[in-house]
Amino acid sequence: MLQIKNLKAKIDNKEILKGLNLDIKPGEVHAIMGPNGSGKSTLSNVLSGKKGYSVSGEVKYLNENLLDLEIEERAHKGIFLAFQYPLEIPGVNTNIFLKTSLNAIKKAKGEKELDAIEFLKLVKQKAAELKFDEKILSRQLNVGFSGGEKKKNEILQMSILNPKLSILDETDSGLDIDALKTVSEGVNALRSKDSSFLIITHYQRLLDYIEPDFVHVLINGQIVKSGGSELALELESKGYESLS
Amino acid sequence: MIDQLKTDFDKTITNLKLSNKGIEIRRKSLNQFSENGFPNKRIEDWKFSDLNQIISSNIKGLNFYSNLTSDKVDESIFINKFKHNKIVFINGVISSIDLSHEDETKVSLSKNLDLDEDRKEVNPLISLNNAFTSSYIRVIVHENYSFNNPLIIYNISNNNLKSTALNLRTDIVLEKNTNLKLITLFDDNSENNFINIIQNFDIAQDAILKSYKIDHKKNSNIKYFYNNINLGKNSISENFIFSTGSKFIKNEVNCNLNDQFSSAFINGIINLTDTQHHEIKTNINHLAENTKSYQLIKSVLNDNSKGIYQGKIFVDAKAQKTNGYQLSKALLLNENTEFNGKPELEIYADDVKCSHGSTSGNLDEDSVFYLMSRGLSRQQSKELLINGFLMDAVEKITDFEIKDLIKDLMGIAE
Amino acid sequence: MDAREKEIEKLKDYKYGFSTDIENTRAPKGLNEEVIKFISNIKKEPKWMLDWRLKAFERLKQLKEPNWQKPKYPKIDYQDLYYYSAPKSMDDKPKSLDELDPKLLETYKKLGIPLQEQARLNGIAVDAVFDSVSVATTFKGELNKKGIIFCSMSEAIQEHPELVKKYLGSVIPLSDHYFATLNSAVFTDGSFVYIPEGVRCPMELSTYFRINATETGQFERTLIIANKGSYVSYLEGCTAPMRDENQLHAANVELIALDDAEIKYSTVQNWYPGDKDGKGGIYNFVTKRGLCKGKNSKISWTQVETGSAITWKYPSCILKGDNSVGEFYSIAITNNHQKADTGTKMIHLGKNTKSKIISKGISAGFADNTYRGLVDIARNADNARNFTQCDSLLMGNKCGAHTVPYIKNKNSSSNIEHEATTSKISDEQLFYCNQRGLNQEEAVSLIVNGFCKEVLQQLPMEFAVEAQKLVGISLEGSVG
Repeated sequence: MLQIKNLKAKIDNKEILKGLNLDIKPGEVHAIMGPNGSGKSTLSNVLSGKKGYSVSGEVKYLNENLLDLEIEERAHKGIFLAFQYPLEIPGVNTNIFLKTSLNAIKKAKGEKELDAIEFLKLVKQKAAELKFDEKILSRQLNVGFSGGEKKKNEILQMSILNPKLSILDETDSGLDIDALKTVSEGVNALRSKDSSFLIITHYQRLLDYIEPDFVHVLINGQIVKSGGSELALELESKGYESLS
Repeated sequence: MIDQLKTDFDKTITNLKLSNKGIEIRRKSLNQFSENGFPNKRIEDWKFSDLNQIISSNIKGLNFYSNLTSDKVDESIFINKFKHNKIVFINGVISSIDLSHEDETKVSLSKNLDLDEDRKEVNPLISLNNAFTSSYIRVIVHENYSFNNPLIIYNISNNNLKSTALNLRTDIVLEKNTNLKLITLFDDNSENNFINIIQNFDIAQDAILKSYKIDHKKNSNIKYFYNNINLGKNSISENFIFSTGSKFIKNEVNCNLNDQFSSAFINGIINLTDTQHHEIKTNINHLAENTKSYQLIKSVLNDNSKGIYQGKIFVDAKAQKTNGYQLSKALLLNENTEFNGKPELEIYADDVKCSHGSTSGNLDEDSVFYLMSRGLSRQQSKELLINGFLMDAVEKITDFEIKDLIKDLMGIAE
Repeated sequence: MDAREKEIEKLKDYKYGFSTDIENTRAPKGLNEEVIKFISNIKKEPKWMLDWRLKAFERLKQLKEPNWQKPKYPKIDYQDLYYYSAPKSMDDKPKSLDELDPKLLETYKKLGIPLQEQARLNGIAVDAVFDSVSVATTFKGELNKKGIIFCSMSEAIQEHPELVKKYLGSVIPLSDHYFATLNSAVFTDGSFVYIPEGVRCPMELSTYFRINATETGQFERTLIIANKGSYVSYLEGCTAPMRDENQLHAANVELIALDDAEIKYSTVQNWYPGDKDGKGGIYNFVTKRGLCKGKNSKISWTQVETGSAITWKYPSCILKGDNSVGEFYSIAITNNHQKADTGTKMIHLGKNTKSKIISKGISAGFADNTYRGLVDIARNADNARNFTQCDSLLMGNKCGAHTVPYIKNKNSSSNIEHEATTSKISDEQLFYCNQRGLNQEEAVSLIVNGFCKEVLQQLPMEFAVEAQKLVGISLEGSVG
């Protein structure tokens, strides 16, 4: 699904990713762990196409050159980034935003767009699955949401947009244990043989709930070690220093 | 008035012993002022304060010439709470200068009354001042020097001064990486004069100026203050205006944030009774990236008084990442009071955060009720709330000694 | 590219930019007593009306054009304009739509305002004003049954002189200011609305203004009277062909609300804004004022201003009746070289009067957008309240956003609150929307509509959707 070869990224002439390689196959869950400043968020930003980075290397996504695509084109083709800090957009109703987003993606795929009734039905169903209070959807997008509500909202959007590759950028940060469970259950429910996940996290605790197939350690812009889920536990006990 | 102006002008320049060029410049300014005289409410900047009308109804037979000489200082009026340097003006004449707390090689003074050509006349009162300036002092703080103690400029007047227009000017130059706390304190024992003071501040890179203007003694004088502040890279200007004493004051602050990371703070209180009429007008010009301005003005109006706040934030297209904030709050405590505001934004850059707010109204009855329910009298409750309201601005003063001084003047015991 | 292709290319930017080739009856060029008499005569006006016009003209000679506003414009040669232009086919007053020139019907159809019986907009009665005259008013019969008068101003002068005499100029006096006085002297047509006591107008009333002729100023006059306990919602829309010349539009709108009456006045202003380089476009210098004359009355202005080269207007409320309420909701969008100086005046005279001002200014390209407003609380207006919020959004650093509120409070039991902010659409917000599959323009439109939401909500349903689209279109090409 995703092949990253020798990916480098610079911002303000400072190299953050220094030749990163990664291969994600359909249905796999990969976790990337690393200390602060190792380049985790840069990786998720570069994969989703955020401007401001000068990028080199190769990223193939579904056999297409990902780096050539605009941000929204990547979204249309099934890339979803769950933001570490979801943005507040005043005055924009969450439901309307979601519908606009879903229909933009459907339109790009050549699928039939949903009308208001179909959409509401879908939202209700997804919200119920995720035990998500749908009242929040009639509020302004992320405005005045608690940290937990914002993250749950990201997961709800993910389940509605049904992406192929979901990138979760520090989704666990700022969550209490209950919210963490809800979010994780949401992710687990979406796991399937066709959809892949890239989970970016500093701590191992999220991985207690979402068991990854592979764990990679990102330090100073490079993956220094890869392994199975046991690697996460090892990091938790020994710390990143043992690897650097 | 024109004839009076001319006669008084001739007397003034004869008395001041100026160079021919100096006289020429002053004459030009005189003509500029004479064209329209004192500003009236038809001029947008004076919309809420018709100075022409205020002067003609308060001062009979205004003189533009004063031949007073230095009087003896009544030392009891000096601040005794903390050590400080002094420059003392009596009736507009410099009577003493005492910078004994400072290293004299680091501070220069000049009293040269010959004005240089490049003084901008942005309004008629500056022209008037340029024409008649009778006392001038320029203080230069040399590189890397921080004042050990505050400098207080005492502006004292006594009953020898009557129906006179005084035009004074102070320039403060802070060279790189210097530090000065300045208090301009008025002690008015005179009546019915027009006092027109220009203060000019040039604040170079990394320098910090804290300037406090205190007018607290009840008097019938009419005052106009024009403060021009130029800020260099990484410099800070903190200003506080304490405006309660005179019959009329218009305090105008023009502040240019000329270079990156400079900041300006203008806070103040207007606290009036009887038929007092005070205005604060600010003009903050953000001319470079990453500059910051903050303003908080609190007004309390009693009896038949009138308060005005006109504040403008200008953001040049170059001045990205500007942060500009402005808040004015007024309490109208009597049915005959009036508050006028014009909080203005003029913005040409997109990556900026600017906001302003303005409220005016009476004390919150719920708060009065709450305090009364805790056993306070109505009067006590109101006083407490009013002091709290004003303290909000006073608390912005970053110098503790001076903050205490102002609290003392307000009669607020800690 | 041939002329037609060029035309089509141009219309992509402003789809109302076409012009109708129609024969006109015009007054002679220029501004003088003869022209005023011509206008009055062609409308067969009674003498009192002509006298009123001439009085205004006398007054006009003593007035100067104001120049305090931010947008400056080249001097207008008032002698080089036509003050009256009407389709020739209107000369003998068609009695019904069937007699109306098909070209006119076609024009309105193209504008999305079908006048024909079968295609009428549901629940909206329309008065269609083409250049200087009203060409048709729909649903008149139905409204008549309830005693509602909805007709052209010219007709009202003939049919309801007592109402016109009583209220015309009662809110905007003859000598108010230059453009208002000019309008009083030369106004040609406009809409007249009278809602009788206790009647709730069952449908939206709407006037659609269209400037078509060249070198012609449009000077319409609208008068709405809501008698005791009545309610009316009124909407105006405006478009004009794309021309290289600047055209003047100086309208006067007067609203009067008696005891317990409510008038809701909405404007979607989409006059031709000029081209990308600022050539051409309408000068929209309009005086709109409402008088809350009776107690408990309410006047609410909502405006979406996206068109015109220069917009200069301050729909205002005089809150005279005790407990009366004034509201002003505004969106002003300026792009390319457009300029807007708009806002409101809330004059609190009565006790317990309330006003609310919500203004959203959006500036892009080389445009300049100014909010200018006055909140004035008189000495006797006990317990008056005002809340004002002015938000500006800037796109790019070649444009400007300005907020100039005047606040006067002379009553200690009253309360004024004013808030203003300036912001931009952050790159992070755009990234977030892009990441969810929206392209740049969709994202901008979504965010801007969010920014304007409080105002858009005030519009009648049918027009809110149209206005939302307009908001998006007006800013096309301004980001990225």
